[in-house]
Amino acid sequence: MLGPNGSGKTTTLGMLMGVVNPTSGSFSWFGESPSHHTRKKIGAVLEHPIFYPYLSGQKNLELNAMIKGADPANIPKVLETVELSARKDDKYRTYSLGMKQRLAIASALVSDPIILILDEPTNGLDPMGIAEIREIIKKIAADGKTIILASHLLDEVQKVCTHFAVLKRGNLMHMGPVDDVGKGEEIVEVQAYHDDLGILLQEFVGSATIKKENGLFQVMMKDGYHSKDLNRFLFDKGIVASHLATRKKSLEKQFLEILADTKS
Amino acid sequence: MKFWLTQNRRYLLTEHMLHLLRIDLKKMTSYRTFWVICGLYFLTLGFTTASGMEILKWLASKGAEFGASININRIPLYHFPDIWQNLIWISGLFKIVLAVMVVISITNEYQYRTIRQNIIDGLSRWEFLQSKILTNVLLSLMSVVMILSIALVTGFIYTPTIEWTYFFGGTEFFIAYFIEVFAFLSYALMLGVLVQRSGLTIVLLMLSHMIEAIIKVNVFRSGVEDQIGWLKQFFPLESITNLVPLPFARYALQEIQDYVALGAVAIALGWTVLFNYFAYLKLKKSDI
Repeated sequence: MLGPNGSGKTTTLGMLMGVVNPTSGSFSWFGESPSHHTRKKIGAVLEHPIFYPYLSGQKNLELNAMIKGADPANIPKVLETVELSARKDDKYRTYSLGMKQRLAIASALVSDPIILILDEPTNGLDPMGIAEIREIIKKIAADGKTIILASHLLDEVQKVCTHFAVLKRGNLMHMGPVDDVGKGEEIVEVQAYHDDLGILLQEFVGSATIKKENGLFQVMMKDGYHSKDLNRFLFDKGIVASHLATRKKSLEKQFLEILADTKS
Repeated sequence: MKFWLTQNRRYLLTEHMLHLLRIDLKKMTSYRTFWVICGLYFLTLGFTTASGMEILKWLASKGAEFGASININRIPLYHFPDIWQNLIWISGLFKIVLAVMVVISITNEYQYRTIRQNIIDGLSRWEFLQSKILTNVLLSLMSVVMILSIALVTGFIYTPTIEWTYFFGGTEFFIAYFIEVFAFLSYALMLGVLVQRSGLTIVLLMLSHMIEAIIKVNVFRSGVEDQIGWLKQFFPLESITNLVPLPFARYALQEIQDYVALGAVAIALGWTVLFNYFAYLKLKKSDI
């Protein structure tokens, strides 16, 4: 679930999890009308990790398990998943931000839920923390759980998600599979030891637009033309490319386009 | 068969309530502030109620300095059945300490936003409130048991001759005491849910009696007091105080109310239900 800050991602999830009262509309979970019983089957962390600061990680998870009616025997397993076993008896308030985020994921997993909701799980983390959380998410998804991820970090979504939706001021702007992003358009990055490469590339029948970025030429291909056609063209001209790569349009670009389309 | 079903459902209901109580106790039992406040409460309560004779002796020595002689042996402070009302009235003064604990417990949930996570994790809002109410019941019961034990021990020590008819006279004060503590804790819980900030809630709690007194003074001016003075008993905090009337005037040969008035019980119970209901309404309507 994508959207700029303040687009209503957390509010939407808050309504789905019963902490925000909707002014209108309805929703259902698992085909039933929502109640606190359905919430027990979902593991969710909205915005920041929330725990009792004076309780240890272990005790906090025991409390989560009690509320969810989950087997406390799951706790060592989920602590292992998020690599917190060594610190489980320390008070929550002594944890670093990354550990807090990981404990939040552990608490969402403790009832072995069918659905996991994570809201900005990498917010405020350093690159290593982000990579760790991303690995955990992939590991959980590989177990066959559905994960709903709210984020404004598009790179992250593109790396871990299969489907995406874009929200703006509480309205749904777009919905579709992540794989579809940039379909039908191909951008080829090319570099060669040739002074007039830019002029030469314009002669290629398959090029729509050409841009130079960081010393690389980015050729937007016309429909039906691919990197191999460009490669052959250069080879015929007697030029050997030192760099040739196909780039799909990034989710970031598509996202900005979706938001720009609806500006009016 | 039908009987069995209702029995079984009742069993499940109490199981569920115990579960909710355990959830709230789990939060509290690793919280140092909880142990400190509860420890101070039960210690001061216990020592104060058990030191009545020493206080009397001190009063007598002070009185002797001014030339008044008080024969403390003629004041049956700890004699059955006087002891019940005496000790319970004194104990009622300490309930503010427990109420502060209740305020801390509920406002912490707002400050740490753990109430939000509890709901997300699958408690209903009513269940959340129930877990707090059940803790209030437990704290009230513990106060009753504490005072009952102290009264029994000191009563048997100081009462010269135990007469069983006297022994049981006045035990209804324990029911009144339970309602008194529970009603006040319900009031504290409601304030906490409404205000959500611990400092402000505690100040309001401390000032409650004062605020009510000011309102009463202004409403019941001397001209109208005769006609509508009876309305005073319906004020929330006064209704709690009215459960156990002040007993000590009887030792100055004045007449006192040495029984629990059913009307007072009904009014206090009514307010208790309302306090918890208002807390529920606020919780249900707000986004958390």
